[in-house]
Amino acid sequence: MNRTYVGLLFILPAMAVLAMLIAFPIVYTIYLSAVDANGVLTSKNFVNALRPPATARAFINLVVFVGGSIVFQVVFGTLTAILLNQNFPGRTIVRSVTLIPWVVPGIVAATTWAWMFHTEFGIINYMLTDSGVISAPIGWLTNKDTVMPVLIAINVWKLFPFVAIMVLAGLQAIPAELYEAAKIDGAHFWEEVLHITLPQVRPVLVTVTLLLVIWGLNSITLIYSITGGGPANRTLITPIQIFRLAFESFQFNTAAALSVLFVGVAAVVVAIYMWVIQKTGEAR
Amino acid sequence: MSTQAGMKQSKSFYLVVAIASAIIIFITLFPFVWMALSSVKQLGELYTVPPHWIPDHPTMQNFVKVFTESNIPRYFLNSVVISVGSTALALMLAIFASYGFARFNFTGKKFFQSFVLVGQLLPTAAIIVPLFITLRVLGLMNTYWGLILVYTIITLPLSVYMLTSYFQAIPVELEEAAVIDGASRLGVLFRITLPLSLPGIVAVLVYAFVTTWNEFIFALCFATDSSVKTLPIGLVEFSTEFTTDWGAVMAASMVMTLPVALLFVAFQRLFVGGLTSGATKG
Repeated sequence: MNRTYVGLLFILPAMAVLAMLIAFPIVYTIYLSAVDANGVLTSKNFVNALRPPATARAFINLVVFVGGSIVFQVVFGTLTAILLNQNFPGRTIVRSVTLIPWVVPGIVAATTWAWMFHTEFGIINYMLTDSGVISAPIGWLTNKDTVMPVLIAINVWKLFPFVAIMVLAGLQAIPAELYEAAKIDGAHFWEEVLHITLPQVRPVLVTVTLLLVIWGLNSITLIYSITGGGPANRTLITPIQIFRLAFESFQFNTAAALSVLFVGVAAVVVAIYMWVIQKTGEAR
Repeated sequence: MSTQAGMKQSKSFYLVVAIASAIIIFITLFPFVWMALSSVKQLGELYTVPPHWIPDHPTMQNFVKVFTESNIPRYFLNSVVISVGSTALALMLAIFASYGFARFNFTGKKFFQSFVLVGQLLPTAAIIVPLFITLRVLGLMNTYWGLILVYTIITLPLSVYMLTSYFQAIPVELEEAAVIDGASRLGVLFRITLPLSLPGIVAVLVYAFVTTWNEFIFALCFATDSSVKTLPIGLVEFSTEFTTDWGAVMAASMVMTLPVALLFVAFQRLFVGGLTSGATKG
């Protein structure tokens, strides 16, 4: 039997589903963005998408949210991984517990944190005022200066376990001989970290960061369910803007134009990231 | 620095480890403790300043309310049907596709593999409008099948990726021996390859189930009727523009978290193994 034909047959069902629900929607989005309600070619969808100041605002918010989240996710995740890589009694329990935030439904995390950050009855304001850290309760989710940092903190809490478990796997894959050789050469702790650990887990960090960028660009659940983009568009991000345009104002063509721009920018960001990674990889 | 097994560790090492572990456990678990405590508080006690740590009169009234006065039981059923259906569909498609990628060479293989990757990378917000229109044209809005299909495209790419690496790790010789004995390609797949990749199958099952169980935004767009709405939507419905029934929300959160928590605890090792194997190999 012709092997070419057999292989294609195996992948056909999955490809058919992906074609229908990914390839077709992509093509259709591009089409919708380029026509008006009567199907006539136009560029006014892009003009309409870019004109409101909220569009730039949403994009900046998205960059701040994703960038801020990733820095802390990677730092806390890596520190946790280093801890979990030590030999101590109870390590398995700590590892299991660490993973919990990542596994719980995003919507549950969102509502629980929203309750904890409640201005009047929230436990966080109580703990902070009771211990004297702040003198009066803060409206964490309604104050325009605190809402974004709070959302970033919740997002970090949700995803640092993922970084930890991936980096831990990377740490455990490092051959023990490398450390033994370094010991013989009289290397200090930080020299080991710098010259053995970090280079060895670099591929894992690269993969994880890329995934975090993509998930970050996708993160709509947390913000939509906690603030809905408010107060005063302080936490409006592009995915929420697209959602609102389509399902609250029913401007499908404008939403499609914004989607095209969004995917274009996202693709450029990912491409630049990959390019930089490749360059620095070659340089080493 | 790390796991020097058998070597004696200093007291300060254990002190640092203990403090760090305590901080991590507190940060990760505290929201759930507070959720559990809030779910058994009476209305009046939820809105007390200063808040009570331990409820004075623990009550199940929030749970009773969730199960008898809300749509949560129906949404729970919908969630089960949609998650199980979508997981089964994604697994079936992924098994065949991964086997094709792992064992055959054909023209366009690279193209199809990148296509699967694009599916994983694409922001969901970007295709939400055309998906909505597609489902409407196909008459799949507000149906189980609509959400099952849509969820399949979320979980399929990573499932194919994970299973392909599992299949590739199985020696081809085992299959060739069976082919010589007269087994068909499908026979080989189901009787030899699949049983050997059971950990990978379980990893995909857990991943697909948890992902679809937790999914929010597609459900919000494509299920607007209470006959197909899922639990995440139910959770949001306890909040109106002006008030939120926090006791009920916390009780419903407990109900929603329990299945994924149990599944995760039961299969944690397989799940983490399946997930991390790809990243460390390359």
